[in-house]
Amino acid sequence: MSPSDRERELEALLALSQRGRAKLERLHEILTSSGHYGRGATPAAVVYRENKLRLLRLLDENGQPRVGPPVLFVPAPVSRYFIIDLLPGRSFAGHIAAAGFDVYIADFGEPTSEDRFCDLAYYVDGLVRRCVRTVSALSGEPKINIVGYCLGGTLALLYSALHPESVTRLVLLTTTVDGDVEGGIAWVAHKMGLAGESYDNPRLVPAAEVKSWFEMLSPGANSVIGRVNDLWDRLDDPPERLRDVRTMATWVDDVLPAPGRLLAELYQQFGPGRNKLMAGTATIGDQRVDLSAVTMPVMSVSAEKDTIAPPDGVDALKKIVPHAQVIRLPGGHVGIVAGRSAPALWQRVVEFLQA
Amino acid sequence: MAEARDDNEPALVERWLQDQQHWQKTLLAYLDSMVKNEDFLVHVGNAMRGSLLAGKPYPTAPPPGTPVTETAADARLDQLLFALHQIQGQLNDLSMTVAEMRNGRASSPAPQASQSRRADRAKRSVAPAAAVKNRKRKGRG
Repeated sequence: MSPSDRERELEALLALSQRGRAKLERLHEILTSSGHYGRGATPAAVVYRENKLRLLRLLDENGQPRVGPPVLFVPAPVSRYFIIDLLPGRSFAGHIAAAGFDVYIADFGEPTSEDRFCDLAYYVDGLVRRCVRTVSALSGEPKINIVGYCLGGTLALLYSALHPESVTRLVLLTTTVDGDVEGGIAWVAHKMGLAGESYDNPRLVPAAEVKSWFEMLSPGANSVIGRVNDLWDRLDDPPERLRDVRTMATWVDDVLPAPGRLLAELYQQFGPGRNKLMAGTATIGDQRVDLSAVTMPVMSVSAEKDTIAPPDGVDALKKIVPHAQVIRLPGGHVGIVAGRSAPALWQRVVEFLQA
Repeated sequence: MAEARDDNEPALVERWLQDQQHWQKTLLAYLDSMVKNEDFLVHVGNAMRGSLLAGKPYPTAPPPGTPVTETAADARLDQLLFALHQIQGQLNDLSMTVAEMRNGRASSPAPQASQSRRADRAKRSVAPAAAVKNRKRKGRG
């Protein structure tokens, strides 16, 4: 090796060392800045509490409740609520509020040991119904709009079938109705042994186990090596962008433990091979769910690249609620609600609610 | 052909030395944050798993073979607590209905299952825990 070759090699090594150090400095900057810590971005007041549930009412810039048609957001009870109120300027709920609606969000909170006994009836005909009653009482409107996200959409659909007289319009976002469509979280959980969850003797399914199902959706990218590589590449991004990534990570990676009875019931009713929503045989407690009662305007949105709720399983709503408006948007399960392209969805929802 | 070198640019060896000094500063900054901020170690641990999750450790499963410590009494206590949550919900329903009547509005939407059936169900789920309590009392007496 000639001296000039050696010098070139040392130059390349020095450049590599400098790049690595710059990334670590950026990482240090991000890790020492304040994180998201799971709060919604928009000022809100707690207007109802029950067990771990908090019903939030978004406030305007003067700290006052907004005036307008009421909208209740129902997120999935197995994840944090703040994905729909993520950041100032990037908040789905904030966008709807700014369009002239009185917005409420159901935050189901973090289940603890006794909540393993929560079943569908507890959520649908208990918590969600009392949220609707509270919204109705505060807004003075006998009927309200409901927007359900993911499993929250399932709760909203079941609620609307049981109490159609209280729902003006229903929006379902990435809500699987056809459990036989292969792929997605239901299938992964099925393959990972969710069939073993007991309804009669449930456990609180640990957050790490729930997280492992989501990781199995794309095992390569979600392996430790895959994630570390991804983070290392992202450390070239500007700090503002990394703070966004951190906020999203705080939602994606901060999964909640799940009530075993709820999971057992979801699996037994809607899981692969059961599929009682499509068959019209779903029940809540001892009542049959009659989807023909869902006569209010309904919009269902699927995401093209959704690995959690496969779009075909979402769009199947058209088969059981024929008048539903079914839309498929580009993006993934989280991206369409809170990603950079999310405003497209928000605007569609505003237009639907204002129609 | 070799690139023309700026006369003001430090020699390669000097730049290596500068880089080493920067590395020392970077590592000292990490050490300083570890000492000053308890959360920082958690955040570094998360980053080593490829996650920027803030405020808590990345969820990991306990090592295989970790014993489950729950006893039958814990399960019954949880059942009792859950039954209390259900009763709390029914009481909230009741107070909402009273408020609606006071305001002259029709009560809506009422629970689909009848109140008595719900109360029965709540009683049933409380019953085993209550029975255990009674048995214990008898045993002591």
